[in-house]
This record gives sequence, structure tokens and C-alpha cells, in this order.
Amino acid sequence: MSDNPKPSIAVLGGGPGGYAAAFLAADLGMKVTLIDPEVNPGGVCLYRGCIPSKALLHVAKVIDESHQAKNWGIEYSDPKIDLPRLRSWKEGVVKKLTGGLGQLSKARSVQYIQGQAAFENSTTLRVAKTGGAEESLSFDRIIIATGSRPAIIPSLKLNSARVMDSTGALDLSEVPRSLLVVGGGYIGLELGTVYAALGSKVSVVEMLAGLLPGADRDLVLPLHKRVEKIFDSILLNTTVSAMKEEASGIRVTFEGQEIKEREKVFDKVLVSVGRKPNSEIPGLDKTQVQVGPRGFIQVNKQLQTHDPAIYAIGDVVGEPMLAHKASHEGRTAVEAIAGHKVAFEPNAIPAVVFTDPEIAWCGLTETQAQKENRQIKVARFPWAASGRAVTLDRPEGMTKLIFDPETERVLGVGIVGVGCGELIAEGVLAVEMAATATDVALSIHPHPTLSETLMESAEVFFGTSTHVYRPKPR
Amino acid sequence: MTEFKLPELGENIDQGDLVRLMISPGASITEGQPVMELETDKAVVEVPSSVAGTVKEIRVKEGEKVKVGQVIFTVENGAGGKTKAAEAKAPAGKISDTPAQSVAQPKTESRSVERRAVAPQAAAIPATPGATEFRLPELGENIDQGDLVRLMISSGTKVSEGQPVMELETDKAVVEVPSSVSGVVKDVRVKEGQKVKVGQVIFTLEGGAAPQPERAKHAPVEHADGQHEARVAFQAAIRAEGKTEEQALPPDQPRPTAPMFAMPEQLGKVAGTEHREPVAAAPHVRRLARELGVDIHDVKGSGAGGRINEDDVKAHSKALLTSATAAAHAPGTYLEEPALPDFAKWGKIERVPIRGVRRKTAEHLRIAWNTVPHVTQQDKADITELEQLRARFAPKAEEAGGKMTVTAIALKVCASALKVFPQFNASIDMAKEEIIYKQYINIGVAVDTDRGLLVPVICEVDKKNIVELAAELTQLSKKARDKKLTPTEMEGGTFTITNLGGIGGTGFSPIVNHPEVAILGLSRSSMEPVWLSGKFEARRVLPLSLSYDHRLIDGADAARFLRWIAEAFEQPFLLSVQG
Ligand SMILES: Cc1cc2nc3c(=O)[nH]c(=O)nc-3n(C[C@H](O)[C@H](O)[C@H](O)COP(=O)(O)OP(=O)(O)OC[C@H]3O[C@@H](n4cnc5c(N)ncnc54)[C@H](O)[C@@H]3O)c2cc1C
Repeated sequence: MSDNPKPSIAVLGGGPGGYAAAFLAADLGMKVTLIDPEVNPGGVCLYRGCIPSKALLHVAKVIDESHQAKNWGIEYSDPKIDLPRLRSWKEGVVKKLTGGLGQLSKARSVQYIQGQAAFENSTTLRVAKTGGAEESLSFDRIIIATGSRPAIIPSLKLNSARVMDSTGALDLSEVPRSLLVVGGGYIGLELGTVYAALGSKVSVVEMLAGLLPGADRDLVLPLHKRVEKIFDSILLNTTVSAMKEEASGIRVTFEGQEIKEREKVFDKVLVSVGRKPNSEIPGLDKTQVQVGPRGFIQVNKQLQTHDPAIYAIGDVVGEPMLAHKASHEGRTAVEAIAGHKVAFEPNAIPAVVFTDPEIAWCGLTETQAQKENRQIKVARFPWAASGRAVTLDRPEGMTKLIFDPETERVLGVGIVGVGCGELIAEGVLAVEMAATATDVALSIHPHPTLSETLMESAEVFFGTSTHVYRPKPR
Repeated sequence: MTEFKLPELGENIDQGDLVRLMISPGASITEGQPVMELETDKAVVEVPSSVAGTVKEIRVKEGEKVKVGQVIFTVENGAGGKTKAAEAKAPAGKISDTPAQSVAQPKTESRSVERRAVAPQAAAIPATPGATEFRLPELGENIDQGDLVRLMISSGTKVSEGQPVMELETDKAVVEVPSSVSGVVKDVRVKEGQKVKVGQVIFTLEGGAAPQPERAKHAPVEHADGQHEARVAFQAAIRAEGKTEEQALPPDQPRPTAPMFAMPEQLGKVAGTEHREPVAAAPHVRRLARELGVDIHDVKGSGAGGRINEDDVKAHSKALLTSATAAAHAPGTYLEEPALPDFAKWGKIERVPIRGVRRKTAEHLRIAWNTVPHVTQQDKADITELEQLRARFAPKAEEAGGKMTVTAIALKVCASALKVFPQFNASIDMAKEEIIYKQYINIGVAVDTDRGLLVPVICEVDKKNIVELAAELTQLSKKARDKKLTPTEMEGGTFTITNLGGIGGTGFSPIVNHPEVAILGLSRSSMEPVWLSGKFEARRVLPLSLSYDHRLIDGADAARFLRWIAEAFEQPFLLSVQG
């Protein structure tokens, strides 16, 4: 409890967690200082994450559709790719959005300091400004939102321009002839898709038995089938045991029972094996903040650390490392500081993989239900039966709803198919509002749209879907 | 008359707790119908009847332990002839042959799941007696192949006829394919993602097919789009192999190596905090519950699917309050007040409702008085020197916007004392028979306002210096008088100070601010003759009254604690150092 109803707040890190927190705090009348090394707020998400990757994926989609157009009687010649222009377009997108955040920050009188912060104690920060000056500043409360960075495998660390992380890949310095993506998670697949569309021969190597470990297999399957066509190879159950730089590229040694070639040379390698929380903030040991075994800062449901004056949000506190989770946590933390009785307790956090087709889900997954040995009922609607999907010439998608068998409540939603990242929001609303199968089935959805697949999945649950004949056993 | 005895439940299980009986005398039951739910060391299982007829007598009760072979109930009636054979067949094999009847269900979950008899969906597939393999059956006109979307079995899985084993996507639809054979799967010959043709071998059975036991006609099989059967099969497989769930992961689970990069778990929990079921309430309803201090998980929803709305939360909160009041009124905790005489008999009276702060105070103090066995210890502190210190710090405090009062100094003194005597900074949990020691020192200060007594709390008193404390105390007192205190500003105290010195008095017995265990009362200081180095000297003396919870604190400790405080007041030098 503070005697001052409007405490002064410092937010460390200007990502989607940090700026959302700072802006809300300012809106609630607090005195806010936002500290980040970049010129403007944005963090990983805007500078080297969500936004640039989605800009490039949009381009990849256009290239891909230009090829597919042959099926429809329209033939384009192969695209000419002007890399510098593509790069500057992508950078323009980033500038526009981060500049906008800078203005929003000014408009709210948030004090934005470009620099790096270290802790002197629980309420005092030493800020090394980008201009060179240093300053000690004290606050009532501090929110840590320092995000995460690409993880590296120490044994594979190679000081070579040919080996990139996601940041390097987004720089798009060239389109390599061949690219190996290490790690079949969403970042690897998204960036692999971009480079494949731009003309690289892309291979993906994944240690586990399937792409996108953790996601439901039936969602991954259509994606797997499609990337099999656009990628040179997908190596599953395979690990990279060594990498060596040679004149012609990086010589990579694979290990695994199913491998055909033990070694192969690639022009470039993208290592995308996960992300590590930025919890090694200088001086953090002078506070009572505790860091867990995987490097995440430990917080309670109010996002408060073991140090009562310090809160932490976003990637630095744990999975899922997603921008929208960071923002929601940021807002929750600020409300808690303002004295509201709040907690971070969503029933559904959506996850979207922006590949082609996209995969999206929220709430309970089948994989998790199985792990917990939990009773569920699943209703699936194949997009082959969706008029909209067929007009898009993309019938490989699938929508499924996961229900509680007793209450018929929607517990989770999983979708694979083009553009399904936009559809999942309805799923989130259904789960958060505790909608039942009947609610979803009785809500009129516009025709012809992909959103109908959600309604029809609910109809499948009752064995009465209009466009799928799958009666329930009597 | 026939008896139904508890059949074998599985290896090494010879008894279980009877969780639920699903029959009662007079009920007519059929073979295969679940009659009770048993909790064994391993799981909760539903036990199907092996007899048919009308239940006559039930020999067990819910909550009892039941042993294998023990008589559960008796039946009368015609079906008796058949029951004999059925009973003979019941043990051992029965349950694992029709695994749906022995579903291990997590206890917390619903147990009443829709039950339907199996009907193969894609096509009617006749059982193939003695088959050693399962081939993809005809799926329909003009369909000769499909993409294998999902396999629901793996090597070692026990399958029974009619149990869906895979999901196939054809040009037309996604269909679930039920098995036409029963037995233990040996080799699975197909992989997810493959194309499979009609007639192609999908899997082989171990040592040929098990002779198909005569299936009870009404064998209940749950249908949940294949998902449930898959799990049932999975469990049967585990049981057959004596494996744990982890070891027997189905084929579409990643290998049990720790993934370097896994997609996020989805139930939206904060890492490290307890995991709770998502609750059937919209976000604004959950927030309302938090604001009212209601645990949303305790609220019963009145809407479809148990959905909780705002009114449910409010009703629950109200019920909680009334039951708390009722509990307080319950005999044993609170003596009913004797009926009042008619005061109007003796003169004019006015009745005024007890509201707001007064009512809260009344309730709270009654509970405190009834719960805590109170003792009050008295002492005196010589504060002559302290007065000088107070004068010295006064300007500083003023600068900081505060007033250097005895209470402000007492805050500092008590914080130090509480560090030395942690049992005074504790609470008692009688229900758990535990003492809760608090590792923070938040001290409440009783403030007299025109609305009544309010107790704002100053947090982390031990970490603040006297000047800061004086400033904070001044502000909080002002807020209290200006009616600006928020409820959170009155929460979280670990000890309380009440100062009546401004009014007068030489001592009093404050009531412990439950669930705290001690409270310090200060009375008016006055000049008294004190015997010092051989003569009486005029000294300023402050009377101290410490009430404490005798359940936790012994008299000797209280005397020591209060002496410590008195001495700290007498040696202001120490305080100024701690400053
Ligand atoms: C290629 C890629 C694609 C992605 N795509 C998506 C997507 O499509 N959707 C999605 O939801 N998420 C996506 N993510 C993840 C998303 O970017 C993160 O979840 C999100 O940025 C986390 O936000 P944050 O506020 O926790 O921290 P960040 O965005 O990581 O920001 C932290 C900021 O703190 C700064 N900082 C660190 N230490 C200090 C210090 N001591 N002092 C001052 N500042 C400091 C950092 O420089 C950084 O600017 C993607 C990530 C990558 C890499």
C-alpha cells in the first residue's frame, strides 16, 4: 500500500508488455517513465518479431498465390524480387508503427528515456542513456518488461554471418540458395516460409517427431503436407550435432535414426530453437526479485514479484511468449498497482502460427486434455465442406471445437486453414464467455465466410451440421 | 434369487471405496449396466452388473470399503437363468474386454456422461471371428481410399469390435473407422498422414484375435467423437502392460524428451501459480467476484452449462455474509443477548439504526472479544529524553509534511520490538493448528473519526525511518478523517497501536484487533516523581497497556515484550541511530 494514490511508475522495456502497461498507467493518472534502448517503443514484437515477420509473410503469400493462379487460368511470369525495396518497405512498416507508438507515448505525457536500466535497489534505477549520460531515478513501483531473446545452443555457436537467428533472418540481407532452419517451431516455420517463397531451398530440422511440438497433431497435418511441397526437406527426429564453416557454406552434421544424409552444406543456417527470458538485469540481485530455474522472473497472479515494489510481465515471466499475453499482463499489473482487485486469469490465450495455412488455437487443446486424462468431446468440421474455403481453392483446413461432455461448454478451439488467425478471436470469446455448443450453433454466421466453420462445428457436435453428413450413432 | 459379487478389478486390486451406488432396491437392471462407482488405489472405475433382474437387497453402503468377491446386492426375477452364466463369466476378463465400463475417470470430473450403444458409423462391419488383422473396410460408394488423419491406437492397445481406431479423410468427409476385430494390437502398418486404400492392412493382432466374448447387448459405450474411446483404449493398454501413462504415450504424442521449443500451454496460468480449472464465467463476472472477495470457483452457476452470472456471484457473496453472521450467532460461539426491557416505559427514547463504521466495529470487536482470551499487561516508560528527541525531529517531520507524535515514535519502537519477539507479529490458525508468523511488519493505528473508529495500516514499518513514518501517519489520519481511506488501506495489519493520550487516562484494556494477537495502548504521559540515583526526580512518564492473545502469548513473554518497548522509549539514542 502506498500513501500516495497515484504512485510513480517506471517500466523497464518498451515491448508490447511494457508500452501497454505504461500507457494504461498514464491513463490512470500515474507518473510514468518508460525505458528502452530503441528510439521509440515497440520492443521485439515491432522491431524484430511479429510485425516485420508478418509483413514478409504477406509478401510470401502473394508470391505463392501468383503461382497458384495457374490453376484458375491466370498465369503470371515468375516474380522479380527487388530485395532492397522489399527491405525498405518492411522497415517502413516498422517505422510507421513504432513512430506511432512514440507519438502515443508523448500524447500521454509518458516520459520516454532511450537507454538501458539497472537496479540500484527495489525502487531506484540507474539509467544509462543512449546519449551517454547516466542518471539515478527513484519510483514507487517498477515494472520489469525486458522480454526475451533468441536462445542459442552453446555447442553449435558459430561466429559466422552465415548463421543467423530470427533477427538476422528478418534483416533479409540476401536470399540464400539453400537455408537450413534448425527448430520446427512457429518462428522457424514462418521464416522458412518467407525464404522459400523468395526462392531459397529450405530444409527444416526438428528434434522431435513432428513440426510445432505441443500443438494438436490434426492441426499440424495439413500444414505439414503443404510445407512438404514448398520446402526441400523436413527432417524429423533429427538433431544437428555439429556445424562448421567452409568456403562454400556451413557444413551441418545430423544425428538421428531416420537420416539419409549425415552431412550437408547449406548457404545459410537459421537457428530458431526457442527464446530465453531477459532476466539477467544488472543489479536485480539488490532487490528481492526471484528468478526461476528456466530464467523466468517469478510472479504471482497480480504479476508482483517477491519484491513488493516490483512487478514483471511479458516474455520475461513465462510461457506463452506472445505479444498479446504480454500486453494483457501489463494492463493487469498496472491495475493491481492502482489498487484494483485483479488477477491474470484468462481462460483462453490464443496462439496463431502465421504459416500457410495458418494454425490457431485457444483454451484447452486435445493434447493437453489427453495429458490430464480429461473427458472431452471434439467436433470437427472439414473445410472441404465450406463454400468459402473452396472458392479460395484452399479446402485443406479444419475447424474443431473441444467441449466439456457434461455441460457442453466450449473449452477450446483449434483451427487450421488460410486466414484462421482472424477466426480464433471468436473462439476466445466463446471460451471466455463460457458459451455452450448451442450458443455457437444458434449464432448466425455470415455466408459465405470461413467463420461459418465454427458454427457448423457446433452443429457437428449435435450430429446436425448442414454441410457435413456425420450422424451421431443412435 | 441371485447375488452380484464384486468381480475382479485388475491386477493387485482386491478392494475399493464405494463412491457411488447407481441402483436402489426395486430397480430393474440389465447385464452390463453400471451399478456402482468404486475408487481404487489406481482410479475410479464403474462396475457393470453381470446379472439382470430386479434389485432386491443392497448389502453395501456408499463410503464403505468393498472387497472383491463381496456380495453387493441380490436380484430376483426371470432373468436369473441367464445370470448364472453371466456371473461365471464376470470375473477377470470382463472388465478389460469392454474397457468402457472401467473407465478411469478423474475424480473431479463429471461422471455422468452420455451413453449410447455403439453403432459403427461409416459402414456396418460384421465381426470377423478369429481374424488376425484389420483391413480398411469399404467406406461407401466410389470411395476407395483416404488420408489417415488420426490413429487412435498403437502397438499394445487393446481394441474391441466397434471401437473407433482411426480417422480418415476422404474426398467427401472425415470418417471415423471402427474396428471389426478384438484383441491386442501387435503391429500398426500405417502412419498418420498416409493414404490408405480399402482392403489395406491397418494393424495386426497379437497371437490372433481373442475369441470374441459374447457382448452384452446393452454394453454401455460412451461416444465422444472417438476421443473418449481412444482414451479408454489407451488406458486398457496401460493396464495390459503395467505401464504408466507417460511410458505408454500414444503415437501422436511427441517423444518424451524435453522439447527445446514447445508451443505454449494454453490454459492461461501464470507460471508457478496454482493451476485451476477454467471457470464458466465471463471475464467481467470473474472480476466482480474478485472485487467482492468471493472465490469464483465456489460459486454455483445458474445459467446454461453451469454458467455463472453477476447475480450468482452477488447471491453467493450475500449467502457467505449471512452464514458468517449466522455462525457468529450460532450457540457456542455467541451467547444470545437477553431480550431488552421496554425502555420507553421510563421516558422518551430514540432508536437510531447502527450503520456503517459503527456496525462493522461492533461485529468485529464482538468476534475479537469472543475469540481471543484477553490479558492486559501494564507498564510505564520514562520518556523525558525522548521528548527532547521529539523536539529535535519535529522540524524535519514538518518538512516532510508530518507531525512528530508519540504515536509515530511508537510505530518505530514497536516495529523493532516485533522483530525481536516474532510471536507478537503472528496469527493463530486453530483450524489447521498452526501459528502463522508474518515476515512483514504492518502496523495499524486506531484513528478516532466522527464516523467512529478506523484503523489505517502503515506497511513495512521496519523499513521506514521516523520522519517517513510521521509523514505517512499524518497523511493517513487525515485521510481517515476526510473519509478518503480505501478498504485496502485498512488491510494487512500485523499489530495495532491505539493512543488515547490526547484525551487523558492512566491506563485501559484495548481489545486485540483479531486476527492479530496483540495491541499496544498508550495513555496520557504526565510528570511523576521517579526514584533516580538516590533521589526523586520529576520525569515525564508514559503509561503503556498491552493486551494480548493468551492462547499464543504467555504472561512472562508479554511482560518482557512490554519492558523491551518501555526501555526502547527510555533510550531514544538507539532509535535515533536506527532513525
Ligand atoms: C520472429 C518473431 C516473430 C514473432 N511473432 C509473433 C506473433 O506473430 N505474435 C505474437 O503474439 N508474438 C510473436 N512473437 C513474440 C513477441 O515478439 C513477444 O512475445 C513479445 O515481443 C514480448 O513482449 P515483451 O513486452 O515481453 O518484451 P519484448 O518485446 O521482448 O520487449 C522487451 C524490451 O525490453 C528492452 N530491454 C531489455 N532489457 C532492458 C533493460 N535493462 N533496460 C531497458 N530496456 C531493456 C529490450 O531491448 C526490448 O526492447 C514473435 C517473436 C519473434 C522473434
